[in-house]
Amino acid sequence: MRTIIEPFKIKSVEPIYFNTRDEREAILSNAFYNPFLIKANDVLIDLLTDSGTSAMSSNQWAGIMKGDESYAGSSSFFHFEKVIKEITGYPIAIPTHQGRAAEKILFSILGGAGKYFISNTLFDTTRANIEFSGAIGIDLPCEEGKHPSIPAPFKGNMDVAALKKKIDEIGVANIPMVIMTVTNNSGGGQPVSMQNIKEVSTICKENNIPFFIDACRFAENCYFIKLREDGYANIPVPQIVAELFSYADGCTMSAKKDAFANIGGFLAMKNTELANSCRNLLIITEGFTTYGGLAGRDLEAIAIGLQEVMDENYLQYRIRSIEYLTNKLIAAGVPVMQPAGGHAVYIDAKAFLPHIPVHQYPGQALACALYTEGGIRSVEIGSLMFGKYDNNNHLVPAALELVRLAIPRRAYTQSHIDYVAEVIIEVFEKRNNIGGLEILEETQLLRHFTAKLKPVK
Amino acid sequence: MKRSWAEPYKMKMVELLKMTTPAQRKKALTEAGFNTFLLKSEDVYIDLLTDSGTSAMSDRQWAGMMMGDEAYAGSKNFYHLEEVVKSVYGYKYLVPTHQGRGAENILSKILIKKGDIVPGNMYFTTTRLHQELAGGRFEDIIIDEAHDPENEFPFKGNVDLNKLDMLVKKYGAKKIAYVSIATSVNMAGGQPISLKNLKELRAYTKKHGILIIHDMTRVAENAYFIQQKEKGYGNKSVKAIVKEICSLTDGATMSAKKDALVNIGGFLTINDWNIFEEARNMVVVYEGLHTYGGLAGRDMEAMAIGIKESVDDDHIRARVGQVIYLGEKMKDYGIPIVRPTGSHGIFVDAKKFLPHIPQTAYTAQTLAAEVYLDSGVRTMERGIVSAGRKSNGENYFPKLELVRFTIPRRVYTQAHMDVIAESTARVFERRHQINGLKMVYEPKYLRFFQARFEKL
Repeated sequence: MRTIIEPFKIKSVEPIYFNTRDEREAILSNAFYNPFLIKANDVLIDLLTDSGTSAMSSNQWAGIMKGDESYAGSSSFFHFEKVIKEITGYPIAIPTHQGRAAEKILFSILGGAGKYFISNTLFDTTRANIEFSGAIGIDLPCEEGKHPSIPAPFKGNMDVAALKKKIDEIGVANIPMVIMTVTNNSGGGQPVSMQNIKEVSTICKENNIPFFIDACRFAENCYFIKLREDGYANIPVPQIVAELFSYADGCTMSAKKDAFANIGGFLAMKNTELANSCRNLLIITEGFTTYGGLAGRDLEAIAIGLQEVMDENYLQYRIRSIEYLTNKLIAAGVPVMQPAGGHAVYIDAKAFLPHIPVHQYPGQALACALYTEGGIRSVEIGSLMFGKYDNNNHLVPAALELVRLAIPRRAYTQSHIDYVAEVIIEVFEKRNNIGGLEILEETQLLRHFTAKLKPVK
Repeated sequence: MKRSWAEPYKMKMVELLKMTTPAQRKKALTEAGFNTFLLKSEDVYIDLLTDSGTSAMSDRQWAGMMMGDEAYAGSKNFYHLEEVVKSVYGYKYLVPTHQGRGAENILSKILIKKGDIVPGNMYFTTTRLHQELAGGRFEDIIIDEAHDPENEFPFKGNVDLNKLDMLVKKYGAKKIAYVSIATSVNMAGGQPISLKNLKELRAYTKKHGILIIHDMTRVAENAYFIQQKEKGYGNKSVKAIVKEICSLTDGATMSAKKDALVNIGGFLTINDWNIFEEARNMVVVYEGLHTYGGLAGRDMEAMAIGIKESVDDDHIRARVGQVIYLGEKMKDYGIPIVRPTGSHGIFVDAKKFLPHIPQTAYTAQTLAAEVYLDSGVRTMERGIVSAGRKSNGENYFPKLELVRFTIPRRVYTQAHMDVIAESTARVFERRHQINGLKMVYEPKYLRFFQARFEKL
């Protein structure tokens, strides 16, 4: 196979600052062994998230310059609205400053005590917003999705039989919405098949339950459908996207992922009444309906980005670059989630550092080692992020101890990725020298952002 | 000899405008339900809807936009912004938010308990709503002069300490969540508060252990009026006065879309570590991680640079100079406006302009619609529609029924100002032929944004 090259060249660069291993040791210690507390300037390769970290295109930058900053009725809004309507087929588009704001509004209206939201897997801020309203979030991933090392084409799918059972158990009246996250982020960036979306949609329709898509990575998901699902190989991605959205009643979107924007999000939907309630809340916390807390230029950049992301040359490059890193690590025996997902590589820290018990946070220890060794910033998705305490103050660990290396879109080159692989493999060879961590200080909510840790002696 | 207030900048980039015909404007206005908020910007010639987020950024700010560090955590633009907020305003801790209302939302939730009183120098729409949603009740403690559009008192943003004292005596200091002080009071017509008054307020609140939270979105404009009008400040720089104002308060919410010359962004800044800690935890849920608060890195950079530009004496003199120029023109035509001219716009007294239209027929809303029809100038109602309803469903009947002609910063020229005054004068000439409106759609919150009207 020929090398897949980027369907773009570089127009503007941002310098990376190099530092030494000794310097990084000091920086990490000053940041209390929490990569979230490291200054961006002290990071060589920043794989903390793919959210808001994309390189925009020259067309998007031109859109930035064209932004209409009128408070009401901005022409950039009408461009934004038109593109979203075309792509999703939904008649209503409501801008918000981020995806989490779109969720906040939706769940404030639909949530509340005694309500249940069912999903393939809810993302952490989505779950937080649901629980904040007093409602409960239920994850029903398919069986394949629960096993990191076993490859399957659509590990992001929802368990349809379990969904039927849950609906019977809870009762339709208490389920305000079913949400499908594409791709399934917490499950390793794994795609959902069209077949699965269709089946879930049918069940929702039969039971009169609104069905929404968490659409952050809709284009990556649709490209996987094209590659892996029967009957889609010859269908253009925009058409697959249109089909995917047609099965649902609306979507939430963080434009910081598949719209290449550095900020922004939206809600799109069919139901006018729900949209009016959303707009009422929007004005209080976000901004007027035609800007939703965004500058006009950002609406413009999102509109352009949404169209660029469906380009198949881009998607081929994007999916291939994640696979490239994953395959390098697999070849070296590093335990990673398989197959490669759409936006990140997930290392299984429990298998990587079997000598570190979960209460010493092996994921966090690995993330710290990657920083010290090569200046790479990653994020722990394990017991530091999702762990809880029982009544006796003992840690209830998360199901998996993962380290996520999220690849920003269009930002790093192949030589950066080669470097990342080399560092990870080097750390893997020296893994027995890595020790665990303990928590010095933590907050009650979302502790992983600000927790302070130190090495176990 | 008179010297004009020439701008301390020249134009580097322009945005083209579309001219419209009377027939096009009539159609656009009818489609927008006689609500200027619902007009498309492309149907507007001169947009005076708001000075919020509509400024022209400088070439330096645009250069800063290119220097945006979009890292999710620890962006260097955040540290730059933090350093600038500390050095220009003097508050200790910073939490960025995507807009001013994001900061108000968080602060209200932290500081207000159910049943609390929040006294302030006149209400502002979003500020009061956040106070009410958090369980508090707003009480107006602005001096009476502020409600009289013809009174020429130079500091109509001042607090009446007797009104505050009565609230403290009636409810006890414990029930006062904080005193909310706006600099350059928007709803009063952009009227400043004096440093003398603020010092007295500080002494009083200190005695009773009450916090002062500063709504600082136009603090530099307020500082300019202090420099021009208050005894003892003629030789002080706007920068020094801004710092002195902030030093007399405990924390602030900021919509950087006004003074700070950006199109998006805001922050909360506070001297108390515990409030800061709570705000920093809450911002993750509503806005974004505490080192970006829902903003792109580039927007924090543009804000940091804009804040520094905003306290420059030459900048602020030209800014307020342009507003006063328009005010004088209006006065020359005999148009009734709020006196003295405020810092960010001209507020036309609709009750005087259209005395035959009662407040229940939306006097100011009518006038805003007529001004648009005449020339495509878009203004905003600040009267009964903006005031909304009390929690028991009754309409507020504000004393002031105004149309706000808000001037975006560094955007329009003197010739644009002339067109605005001439157009308003034409409407003034045919004022007796104008009829009022009825409301046909009323949203639940902040109705002025989306309400629809028909001609009576």
